[in-house]
Amino acid sequence: MSIISVLIPIAVLFVILGLAIFFWAVKSRQFDDLDKEAFSILFDEKQQHKKSEPDKKTDDSTS
Amino acid sequence: MTKPQLQNCFHCNEPVPSGSNFSQAFDGQQRFFCCPGCEAVAQNIISQGLGDYYRFRTAPASKASPLPEKLQQQLQSYDNADVLGDLTTQDGQWQQVELSISGMSCAACAWLIEKQLKQDPAVASASVNSSTSRCALRWNPAKTQLSVLLKGIAGLGYQASPFIADNEEQSYQQEMRAYLKRLAVSGIMSMQVMMLAFGLYFGEYTGIEQQYEGYLRWISLLLTLPVMFFAAAPFSQSAWRALKAKELNMDVPIVLALYYTFLASTYATISHSGEVYFESVCMFVFLLQLGKFFEFRARKQARDATSNLLKVMPVSAWLWDGQQATATSARRLNAGTLILVKAGETIPADGVVQSGESSADESMLTGEYKAIAKAPGDTVLAGSVNHDGILVVQVQKALTESRLGQIILLQQQTLHQKPQLLEKTDKIARFFVQRLLVIASFTFAVWYFFIDADRAFWVTLSVLVATCPCALSLATPTAITCALARLNRKGILIKNQQVLEVLPKLNRVFFDKTGTLTQGRFSIQTFVVHQHHYSADELCNLIANLEAYSEHPIARAFATQHSRQLDLKEVQLQVGAGLSALWQPQAATAPLMVKVGSARFCQQAQSGAHVYCTIEGELVASVVLSDALRPETTTLMQSLKALDIQTSIITGDSSAQAEEVAQQLGVQQLWKSCTPEQKVEHIQQAVAKGDTVLMVGDGINDSPCFHAAHVSVALDSGTDLSKNQADVVLLHNDLSLLSELIAGAKLAKKVVRQNLLWAVGYNLVIIPLAVCGFVSPYVAVIGMSFSSLLVVSNSLRLLKQ
Repeated sequence: MSIISVLIPIAVLFVILGLAIFFWAVKSRQFDDLDKEAFSILFDEKQQHKKSEPDKKTDDSTS
Repeated sequence: MTKPQLQNCFHCNEPVPSGSNFSQAFDGQQRFFCCPGCEAVAQNIISQGLGDYYRFRTAPASKASPLPEKLQQQLQSYDNADVLGDLTTQDGQWQQVELSISGMSCAACAWLIEKQLKQDPAVASASVNSSTSRCALRWNPAKTQLSVLLKGIAGLGYQASPFIADNEEQSYQQEMRAYLKRLAVSGIMSMQVMMLAFGLYFGEYTGIEQQYEGYLRWISLLLTLPVMFFAAAPFSQSAWRALKAKELNMDVPIVLALYYTFLASTYATISHSGEVYFESVCMFVFLLQLGKFFEFRARKQARDATSNLLKVMPVSAWLWDGQQATATSARRLNAGTLILVKAGETIPADGVVQSGESSADESMLTGEYKAIAKAPGDTVLAGSVNHDGILVVQVQKALTESRLGQIILLQQQTLHQKPQLLEKTDKIARFFVQRLLVIASFTFAVWYFFIDADRAFWVTLSVLVATCPCALSLATPTAITCALARLNRKGILIKNQQVLEVLPKLNRVFFDKTGTLTQGRFSIQTFVVHQHHYSADELCNLIANLEAYSEHPIARAFATQHSRQLDLKEVQLQVGAGLSALWQPQAATAPLMVKVGSARFCQQAQSGAHVYCTIEGELVASVVLSDALRPETTTLMQSLKALDIQTSIITGDSSAQAEEVAQQLGVQQLWKSCTPEQKVEHIQQAVAKGDTVLMVGDGINDSPCFHAAHVSVALDSGTDLSKNQADVVLLHNDLSLLSELIAGAKLAKKVVRQNLLWAVGYNLVIIPLAVCGFVSPYVAVIGMSFSSLLVVSNSLRLLKQ
């Protein structure tokens, strides 16, 4: 059971790390507009498709 | 490819009129558009490789209309260094500006605008917020002018204009971020502490070595620290402020229970005795924060929606040196300067007309709904709109001293005089907290001295936890937040939540006349045909065709009569008088001279009508125009009367129309030709008499009254300033929403009462049990959570239709 004296502090460290990342994200305004960010992932993927395989553009959109 | 019969516009989804043929190929299919504006925008979007917008958008765009020439010129004035200096902040070679964008319908619009702006190499960053319709732009003005970027946005079918966010808004933004952080800390820590608490629970039953129990308790204590001292800080601060002012508010018992539980658990951890309740502390803070967060977000959304509108203050003006007009900032105009005001522009300063003839719309400042003719020697007011002529104006007062500036000042002064009503929950809290503290100390004393000194501490804890006013503190905010959402769905935006507490007591309503009870624009009252060679329809259409060339408000009354396009040649506009043209009817051999306008312009005898029409010098039609009442006003007045609410009209207009309207609607009181100051006075008198007063208005001159009344309501068609200042904005142009608002407030009051009844009732039952020591702290926590859940679900009933 003595393993918990090592594991729990490690878990706590991860929690602190997670919170630090969240604080950073809030500070850099990532939570100001949730709708747009949800969309941006869709769009950027399309852009890359277009650059690499421009001919498949119409196929992608119909699928 | 054949065109199907019923088509909707690919861009804005409005039906495509039959006979029109605007189309564009996209994704291998022919798409059709309703108007050339939409077609041009779509062409622009697709040719720039931004067609993804159409693939992913979730809502159709708003109908695009091409940017009028005048607006293009106005955009150019933003390039002037003075104007830019007022609007932007400098950061090295970059300029920063906030744009407010209208016409955005979904998140894909934000993407579209960002992509378009970022294509310009001069733009360092552009970030569009789709929930607030704002864009933060950083660019290099030496490489690309602001007007070019704004025109680019206009090419996508949106209107962007520079915007200056006020301090209040920035503090809201910061508060929002602070809420998120506190939510994250209390939420994540609750999970961690709960996990450890499970270990401790099982340890109770299966046995746990004391060394591990102590270890888990210490870790829990450590994880609870940030929750107590960071996430719960607003509660502690608020309670501390109340105590310092020798008052009691809802946060006092909350903080008391929190600290008592926390300190007791800490004591138990250090002394290896008793029980720990760290998980309850964390959950309690998390739930309270969550409730407050939703409440705050609803308030912020309501605020954002209206603050975008604050663009009333004219920002730019044209300096006139006799030959040339140069752009400057309106804030920098001094008395004596000559300025040029073009047709359709907002007049930037109070002054005297030097040359030119036109008419101005001052209804927003004075309540006078008829356009006022302006000739050399007449005074013009800042904030009024110049209609059809070009004016050269000598500035008499700087913008801050102008009539508009004065009204805004008056409104800021009245802001602090808003009648305050003590919040009911605060009253209950005060009553409740006093007794709670007495009972808790009494319990401790009795147990300590007479019954069992060892258990005294834990019994007192049970009393505090069981009676912790969690449900009580959630009772009002949850019900109000749900009621706000319910009303919002109906098209009523409430910016000040106190409104819902005040409205059930309402017994007096003040209405502005122009634009509020009436439509605020001309419509045709009677149309008399003098020459029976032509039908009324034919003449109506003829006048409408001709008036389409004018920007005068009278011309707009005919816009709905425009049924088919006529062939008119040599159209001439005489400012402030009328229009003439050559008309070629099918039956006639030669084109006929048509004149539409005032009696003098048509060379007819004045007969009480507003618009005359002659063909070849012969009178064929005369039209009487009026500012018609809104159709829903009659039923509204009846329902107000049924609720026993007094009604009054308070208007700046001095015409006889005010009496007509008052009589027609059965309004009890009428004050006319009031200045904004007098309006405020009348309302303050009513408030002083003890009435609960609601003011409905739409103009700039109504906005000072808004703070004098208990509740203020602005209409969607009103000026931006009035919408910004009002407590409530009706999002549809429908006055009958007012009765919906009152009904909604009454319903909310009912739910609040039920909630309070339950919360207080539960406490009354549990207190004697806890005092007698029958309730263990665990049971107390369960009871408290159950009671809170019940209150929240009762409030959620408001969301159901």
